[in-house]
Amino acid sequence: MTETFYDVLRRQGISRRSFLKFCSLTATSLGLDSSYAAEIAKAMETKPRTPVIWLEGLECTCCSESFIRSAHPLTKDVVLSMMSLDYHVTLMAAAGHQAEKQLEEIKKKYKGNYILAVEGNPPLNEDGMFCIEGGRPFVEILKETAADAKAVIAWGACASYGCVQAAKPNPTRATPIDKVISGKPIVKVPGCPPIAEVMTGVVTYMLTFDRIPELDRQGRPKMFYGQRIHDKCYRRPHFDAGQFVEQWDDENARKGYCLYKMGCKGPTTYNACSTVRWNDGVSFPIQSGHGCIGCSEEGFWDKGSFYDRVTDIKQFGVESNADKVGGTAAAVAGAAVAVHAAASALKKAKKSDNDKVTGGN
Amino acid sequence: MTAPEQLRAAFVRIAATRMAGLPLNNPALSVATVGFVPWSEVQVGVLIAPWAINLAVVSDHPNALRLGVDERQTWRFPSGEYELMGGNEPECGPFQFCSLFSPAFEFADQATAEATAVAIMQGLLAKADDDGREAARMVGTSTLQAPVSRRGFLRGVFGAQKA
Repeated sequence: MTETFYDVLRRQGISRRSFLKFCSLTATSLGLDSSYAAEIAKAMETKPRTPVIWLEGLECTCCSESFIRSAHPLTKDVVLSMMSLDYHVTLMAAAGHQAEKQLEEIKKKYKGNYILAVEGNPPLNEDGMFCIEGGRPFVEILKETAADAKAVIAWGACASYGCVQAAKPNPTRATPIDKVISGKPIVKVPGCPPIAEVMTGVVTYMLTFDRIPELDRQGRPKMFYGQRIHDKCYRRPHFDAGQFVEQWDDENARKGYCLYKMGCKGPTTYNACSTVRWNDGVSFPIQSGHGCIGCSEEGFWDKGSFYDRVTDIKQFGVESNADKVGGTAAAVAGAAVAVHAAASALKKAKKSDNDKVTGGN
Repeated sequence: MTAPEQLRAAFVRIAATRMAGLPLNNPALSVATVGFVPWSEVQVGVLIAPWAINLAVVSDHPNALRLGVDERQTWRFPSGEYELMGGNEPECGPFQFCSLFSPAFEFADQATAEATAVAIMQGLLAKADDDGREAARMVGTSTLQAPVSRRGFLRGVFGAQKA
C-alpha cells in the first residue's frame, strides 16, 4: 500500500490548485513561514498515507464535534479523508462486528505505522467495567492498540488529564491515557474540547513531517500551547489600566473590561483561544463576555468555581511559557537583563505588518 | 502638576483601590513614571505599576488623546508603529497606553523595573534599520524577490529593493 495523501485527494476530485492552497494554509496555521508550504506539499505527494485510528473511551464526543468543524472546508476534507477511512466509531460507516474487524485489520496491516488518536480515557476501577466496547473493557483495547502504534495523540482534557469524569472523588478511577500507555510518544492536546484548527494542525503536522511537534514539559505542542490566554487577550489593556468588571452586567461589563475579578482563568491558562479563536475565528469565551474557565489546564474541575478568582499565579511574566512555571522562573535583575527584557517587550508591542488595519496619527 | 505626574497620581489611586489586595500585584514594585519626553504635541514615557508596565502617552491638553471605548490609535515612533488604547482617569483625563509587561512578576525590584523602562525608551526612540533584509534572510529569499504586486508586474516593476 503506497498510496500518498495526494493520490487520495486527487481521487476525491480535489484540484492541484486547491491542494497547494491547503498546503499554504496548513503552514500558516502551524505558525510556519510560507516556505514550509512547499515542504508540506512535497511530503504529501511522496509519503505513503499514514492511517489514523481514533478510539473513544469515557468521553462526550465534543473533541470529534470540534474536529469536524475545522474552519476551512478543504482542511476538513483533507483531514477527514485521511482519518474516517480507517477507524472512528462516530464517523465511519461500518458498525458492530464489521467495525471491530476493520480495527483488527488496520492494526495488523499497518503494525507500528499508524497513529493512535484517543478521545476520552479508560476507567480502571472494577477492572475497567465502567467502559465496555465490543464486549471488552476499553482499557484493554487502548493498551493493545497503543502497543502497535507509531505515536499517540491524547485529544482533549479527558485523555490528557482526566477531565470531569476524573474529578474528585473520581468513582470510576478515570485515568489519563499516559498513565496507561508506556513506551510511546504521546502528544497531549488538552481543552474541552480543543480548538478545531489546533487539532487538525497537530494531525497534519504529524502526518506530513512524520514526527511529533515540539512539546512543552507537560507534553503539549508548544506551537499552540506556548502562551497564556492573558498574553494575547484583546482585553489585556483593561487589566493594565486596572479596569475590571466588578459584577455581572455592570457598566464595566458593557464596556468590555477585564474579567479577572469575575474568575477569568486567562492569566494561568495556556491555549490558543485568544489568537485562533473559535467557530472560524468568530469569537472566544472572553469576547462573548465570560471569563476563561481554564479547560486546557490539568484538573480544572477540581480548582474551585469557574467564578473564583485565580490566586495561584506563579512568578512569571509575558516572556515565560509553561516550561518555566514551577521551574526556574528567574526574576529579571541587573542592567544587561533589563536591556534584553526591554527590547523583547518592545518587539512584541510593535505593530506587525499583518495587523496594520487602521491609519491614525 | 505636569501631565506625567497626574498620570502617576491616578495610578497611585488605582493601586490603592481597584487593584488593592489582588494577587496579580508584584509587591516589589510601586507606581512610577519613567523617561517621559516630548513627542510632537504630547509626551511619551513608561508607566510602571505593580501589576503591569505600559508605554504611555499623556498631554497637557489631554482632550486631544480622547478615544472611544475599545478604539485604538496608531503612533509612529522611530522604532516602528505602536497601537495604543485609550484610558481616562479623573486625575489626568484621557491618556493612551500600550501593554509591555503584564503581570510584571519578572522584576525583582523597582530599580530593575526602572532600568528596563529607561531601556524601553531608548529602544522606542532608536531608529529601526529594518529594510526587510532580515525578514528576507529568515525566509531564505533574495531581497530582489520582494513580493510583486499585480499592478507592479503589469508595469514591469519587479519589487527590487532600494539600495
